[in-house]
Amino acid sequence: MSETNLNFQSAGTQIHAGGYYFQWRLLKDHLARYGVIVGGLGVIVAIALIFFFLLYSVFPLFMPATAESVAHYEVPGKMPGSTVLLAMEEQNEVAARFTDSGQVVFFEAATGKTVSTETVPIPAGTTVTSFGQGDPAEGVVVYGLSNGRALIVKQQYKQTYPNGERVITPSLAFPLGETPLVVDDTGAAVEKIAVQANDEATIVAKAGNKIRLVSFEKQESLFDEEAGLERTDAVLDMPVYNLTDMIIDEDQRNLYLVSSDGRLSFFDISNKSHPVIRQHQNVVAVGEKITSLAFLNGDLSLLIGDSSGLVSQWSQVRDELNRPALQKIRSFKVSNSPVIGIHAEQRRKGFMTLDADSVVGIYHSTAERELVKETIGEPGAVAATLAPKANAFLVQSGDGSVHFWHVDNEHPEVSMQVFWQEVWYESYQKPNYIWQSSSASNDFEPKYSLVPLVFGTLKAAFYSMLFAVPLALMGAIYTAYFMAPAMRRYVKPSIEMMGALPTVILGFLAGLWLAPFIETHLAGLFALFMLVPLAVMLFAAFWHNLPETIRQQVPEGWDAALLIPVILLSGWLAFAVSEPLEALLFNGSLREWLKAELGIGYDQRNALVVGVAMGFAVIPTIFSIAEDAIFSVPKHLTVGSLALGATPWQTMIRVVLLTASPGIFSAIMIGLGRAVGETMIVLMATGNTPVMDLSVFQGMRTLSANIAVEMPEAEVNSTHYRVLFLAALVLFLFTFIVNTLAEIIRQRLREKYSSL
Amino acid sequence: MDSILRSQAKSQGRQEVCIKIENLKLFYGEKQALHGINMEMPKKKVTAYIGPSGCGKSTLLRCINRMNDLVDNVRIEGKILLENEDIYNRSVNVAALRRRVGMVFQKPNPFPKSIFENVAYGLRIQGINDKRTLEETVENALRGAAIWDEVKDRLNDNALGLSGGQQQRLVIARAIAIEPEVLLLDEPASALDPISTLKIEELINELKEKYTIVIVTHNMQQAARVSDYTAFMYMGELIEMGHTSELFTNPKKKQTEDYITGRYG
Repeated sequence: MSETNLNFQSAGTQIHAGGYYFQWRLLKDHLARYGVIVGGLGVIVAIALIFFFLLYSVFPLFMPATAESVAHYEVPGKMPGSTVLLAMEEQNEVAARFTDSGQVVFFEAATGKTVSTETVPIPAGTTVTSFGQGDPAEGVVVYGLSNGRALIVKQQYKQTYPNGERVITPSLAFPLGETPLVVDDTGAAVEKIAVQANDEATIVAKAGNKIRLVSFEKQESLFDEEAGLERTDAVLDMPVYNLTDMIIDEDQRNLYLVSSDGRLSFFDISNKSHPVIRQHQNVVAVGEKITSLAFLNGDLSLLIGDSSGLVSQWSQVRDELNRPALQKIRSFKVSNSPVIGIHAEQRRKGFMTLDADSVVGIYHSTAERELVKETIGEPGAVAATLAPKANAFLVQSGDGSVHFWHVDNEHPEVSMQVFWQEVWYESYQKPNYIWQSSSASNDFEPKYSLVPLVFGTLKAAFYSMLFAVPLALMGAIYTAYFMAPAMRRYVKPSIEMMGALPTVILGFLAGLWLAPFIETHLAGLFALFMLVPLAVMLFAAFWHNLPETIRQQVPEGWDAALLIPVILLSGWLAFAVSEPLEALLFNGSLREWLKAELGIGYDQRNALVVGVAMGFAVIPTIFSIAEDAIFSVPKHLTVGSLALGATPWQTMIRVVLLTASPGIFSAIMIGLGRAVGETMIVLMATGNTPVMDLSVFQGMRTLSANIAVEMPEAEVNSTHYRVLFLAALVLFLFTFIVNTLAEIIRQRLREKYSSL
Repeated sequence: MDSILRSQAKSQGRQEVCIKIENLKLFYGEKQALHGINMEMPKKKVTAYIGPSGCGKSTLLRCINRMNDLVDNVRIEGKILLENEDIYNRSVNVAALRRRVGMVFQKPNPFPKSIFENVAYGLRIQGINDKRTLEETVENALRGAAIWDEVKDRLNDNALGLSGGQQQRLVIARAIAIEPEVLLLDEPASALDPISTLKIEELINELKEKYTIVIVTHNMQQAARVSDYTAFMYMGELIEMGHTSELFTNPKKKQTEDYITGRYG
């Protein structure tokens, strides 16, 4: 800048000396100056904009969740009986209140206005003695009656659009008929009951002194329109006196029972006539009681709330003998008073807790985050429900009023811990770094660890640099320092031309030709690494010992050209001996030998293929910059070294490389930057498996390929979408930091050697 | 001419010949740059080559340590005998020759290393890495090049931080650290200021105690000041060579006289 100013001033003073020429020169000077400024600033602004756009897309991930009170009102439907369950439909418009007297009041969630009241057909002379809720998404509940019978009821919300406006009509249905089903044939009152009903239905009930398992399967009949019910009965082999709660998973394969002494019993009920106990485990601290029980979405984990305000997550994990067993994977201290309700989100791995002091907390299990904590109304809450979309909740507090709250909780599933630390996912044996962002199923637990992607990026870059740096640098040294200028004029542009090759072609070749080729010629590849250098050295020795007359036929500096046939021939030979070699030494296949003898698995698309293909893409970059750096080492330095009696080799190592080091360093760094950001090659040649395995025979997934693969599938503004932007931001920062560091080091080095 | 020199050498008694050039011809491709040069340079004396630009004096100097080998398309005929050995013999190891014939260039060319490492370079490439030996040699070389007092406190600083005059003396120290027999100086002071030039000239006077020195210079006063013998070259030929005092005061050839009196060049 100061120089420009200087020029400008001198031009200015000369104006007064007069002349059209000076004015014209001044104008050009101005134009050039502003052109340069605009261009330079434009680049900086563009990069800053990209950065801020990424930040803008990522930022909502880290916004805290909020909850705000919308309304509170008297408990709808003044009727005898206390609330046993609150429920809400999909649109948060209509809510339902179930009472222990068999009434169901549907009311508007926002106002408390009663929409309709239904009565469950409980036979005269019997009373409701117990109540159970199935999967909240199914809307199924069960009433246990005093005569040993049970009635399954299902809430239904029908949407119609009469005047173009949505009207939701609630109703009750009876999937197994309006007549209560016999659970206990002795007629003892049902004291505890749990249900799960979809295509088939399972009821677990404590009646009399037995725990009974009753299941109903719809029997399709070819001749009969009406499907019959096939009933299976079993009695669980377990003491009943201290049973407090029961829960069945949605697949109706696992049953969990808890007792007042804090024990959990886990039954395998896949065979309904023959339940098997799997586990009997103490799940709370001594002296504490289990006060609430719920499944996390997907029914793979059980949330157990206790009287000390602790909620622990127990997940089914296979033990050493490959048997399913519950394992505590994390816990949340949600309160100091007993946790009386746990309500899982229906689409995500979050849940809401309600404690005895009417404090509601919203948590996310994977992220281990506390998102919302609010005290709702008076202490002594009775019931609560979380909306199906987890964007609202209802609480009936101790003073008999119902509170309706909205929740804004867009991205609960991410935290720094999720991205960068080991997380214990459901059904995994231990905490791990996993990237698995989506699945077809709704109850899938997204795994957003960026570690495998960063690892894959670095691994791909490492192996490609391992391949590219030696070749590119040696080539650059030879071309710049030893090669005849006439030959250099051909070699340098040819290699630079390689850089113009679209990487999609390289990736395509790597994935479709190189990967299968290496797979079948693995031994040949290793033979190549040994044979080619050997052949080159042998040829060099041979050439050195040839009579002078023959050697002088080749002009100095052109001798490298003689190596071309040598390399081609030895390369061909390496692959030609591949098959016999594998047959002779490795029982026919090196891959299987590696697997059997060394336990090294082989993926067809692996780091080796990527290293070669991406190395190919990176070589021209590194070669070109390094060659320029070496070539521009001042002649007087090399001459000075030679004049001191140094051999050309010593001069090259001790003076040329040293002086060219800033350039060589930046060549490697720019190559690294390219390898890290390269997308097409890794996309097509890595297999895109986000595994964390350093093995050269295993694939990987890089940040860039991951974005390319998943961005089209990610729902706009979803957590997944924003996490992909985060991956882009990480990539951006990574290359930014590498380049900045490289530039700083390069400047330092250059300063050191600046006065050359 | 060499007969003159020989007779002079004889007259002085024990004058030994260090370098003898016999009918040296040099071609750059088709162009002949040196036309049959014959001369002898006595041991531990300073010989100066003078002559107008492009006369071949630097080319001739670079033949003595075979630096011309590095130039493409150079062909050399004739002989250069160093202590009676033909340096263009095929059996001669060029690197070993250059250790015996050191060279300092017009432009100071220290390596981008510390002062110490610059001077130690010649030893290190010979595989001498013993710390004591290196320290001793470096100190002696720097003292020999009259720069020790200026740099002894900053031996580990980068040599590129020195001034031009200091750099040139450092380069001389680097050259004498490997104890060559001959020191070739190619216009060593032409890029320096007068004070640095003076220091270099004083240094040359000291160095001839130990080394045979050949210096190329544009500056006739400098040649007169520092050299014992002077050779005047013109158009790739050696015109005249003799004792410096004689050549400047009483040149035998008209061309020499024209040149030293400033009529051309």
